[in-house]
Amino acid sequence: MAQYFRNIYETIATVLIGMGVTFRHLFTKSVTLQYPREQRELPSGTRQKLFVNIDDCIGCLQCEKACPVSCITIETIKAEKDEDLGETSNGKKKRMYLTRFDIDMAKCCYCADCVFPCPTECIYMVPEFDFATYDRNDLVFRFSNLSDEKHKELIEREKAKEAAKQQPPEAN
Amino acid sequence: MPDLRTEVMEVNMGPQHPSTHGVLRVVLKTDGEIVLDAIPYIGYLHRCFEKHAENVTWQQVIPFTDRMDYLASMNNNFGYVVGVEKLMGIEVNERVERLRVITAELNRIASHLIALGTYGLDIGAFTPFLYAFREREMILDLFEEICGARLLYNFMWVGGVSHDAPDGWIQKVLDFCDYFSPKIKEYNDLLSFNKIFIERTANVGVLPADVAISYGCSGPTLRASGVDFDLRKNDPYSIYDKFDFNTVIGEGLKGTVGDCWDRYWVRIIEMEESVKIIRQAASDMPDGNVKEKIPKIVKVPAGEIYQRTETPRGELGYYIVSSGDKIPERIKVRSPAFCNLSVLPAISRGIMVADIVAIIGSLDIVLGEIDR
Repeated sequence: MAQYFRNIYETIATVLIGMGVTFRHLFTKSVTLQYPREQRELPSGTRQKLFVNIDDCIGCLQCEKACPVSCITIETIKAEKDEDLGETSNGKKKRMYLTRFDIDMAKCCYCADCVFPCPTECIYMVPEFDFATYDRNDLVFRFSNLSDEKHKELIEREKAKEAAKQQPPEAN
Repeated sequence: MPDLRTEVMEVNMGPQHPSTHGVLRVVLKTDGEIVLDAIPYIGYLHRCFEKHAENVTWQQVIPFTDRMDYLASMNNNFGYVVGVEKLMGIEVNERVERLRVITAELNRIASHLIALGTYGLDIGAFTPFLYAFREREMILDLFEEICGARLLYNFMWVGGVSHDAPDGWIQKVLDFCDYFSPKIKEYNDLLSFNKIFIERTANVGVLPADVAISYGCSGPTLRASGVDFDLRKNDPYSIYDKFDFNTVIGEGLKGTVGDCWDRYWVRIIEMEESVKIIRQAASDMPDGNVKEKIPKIVKVPAGEIYQRTETPRGELGYYIVSSGDKIPERIKVRSPAFCNLSVLPAISRGIMVADIVAIIGSLDIVLGEIDR
């Protein structure tokens, strides 16, 4: 019988202790952010959406090789010797036309392994995280900035080159 | 009086069940309210980690190790990189080791906070969950500052860490330790010594030491049964042998040694010990280049190694086989949560159905690691 009442006493006492803790928190500042209306400032190195500064890309394919989930697809066409594609901002000569530079953010695992090997630091993560869409294909971001005509022209040129290679050279 | 005809009924618990902490299916054979047998079925979250690891480079395995035990990614990285470094014969500098220990212990606190928060949730106490998540959020903010990610860090690399600590980060960690230590009393007031909670967990699911050892349990689950076994002490890796901390073992304060309350209590005290380690590691931090030993291309000489580390759930072992290539030959993972779950049928025979939830919660399983 004594045990019975002791149990009741202990239950009430310990619940009141717990209630005391919650009661004290009535007077502290709320820690919850009302997200869409207020947003927290993200730290500088935060890893969110991938971004490519395509003017600086030299088409070395290092990021494509580093990606563990193969979410980066790059296609390049070599420039002719007399063509000048300009330089990147850290002084590397560009030698490749980038006909395709796609990043599928639906596949991306946000590991940032592609960011580190880039020799021109042109691929990096930007603090932008609310880019949800209704269609998964909208998450494929295309960074190539070649115009359609230029793209077609380059492909034709490559085809012609291939054909020339295939044909055995005339008797010398 | 004629005998009442009773019948054994099979009940499916899960895979979609909030208190199985993921997609675990337990088939319960019940006689009324009494559980005759509980058989766990796993594999709903199988993502072929080991096969993936055979097809990507040594460096690219690390993001996959993140995704095994997603509540303690740092600790998962830790075991893998320590193993590969031992195979390659790389010795990293003191600053890297300290940063690794600090982040791993912070992650241990974050993981134990989830364990205690969700355990309260399973039993029916909602409030401690919110308190635990408030403190965990601060740890995640610290991680976001050092490596940019909040859950899957890819922070520890073979030969170093991906980012050095930014200015003032170490001070923030120490501030967090000062803030966190008194909070443990709050959890105790809210949950640990609550009479209703004790009644639900003490003397429930008693796991004797010999059963725990024979099933290969490890971590808090094993230590709660009174076995003093912590890999940070018994098989020190990294620089854990330099720090002064205690291993916590269950004493049966509220019931029997090895009951659910003991397993819960071991985690609470372990958070205090982790704070102790972080304080020691973060004080007088040496300088150094955290990336100096990172090889351009990780190439591991032919050989094999079994490296085990202490994660929040227990002994995580990587058995790594290399053929001297750029790609691992084979990586086998010994998952602590898998072995801890295997003891469930042994300790749940003859108990009430409601206590199954208390036992699963106290084992603190993560299905991502069990199924890999």
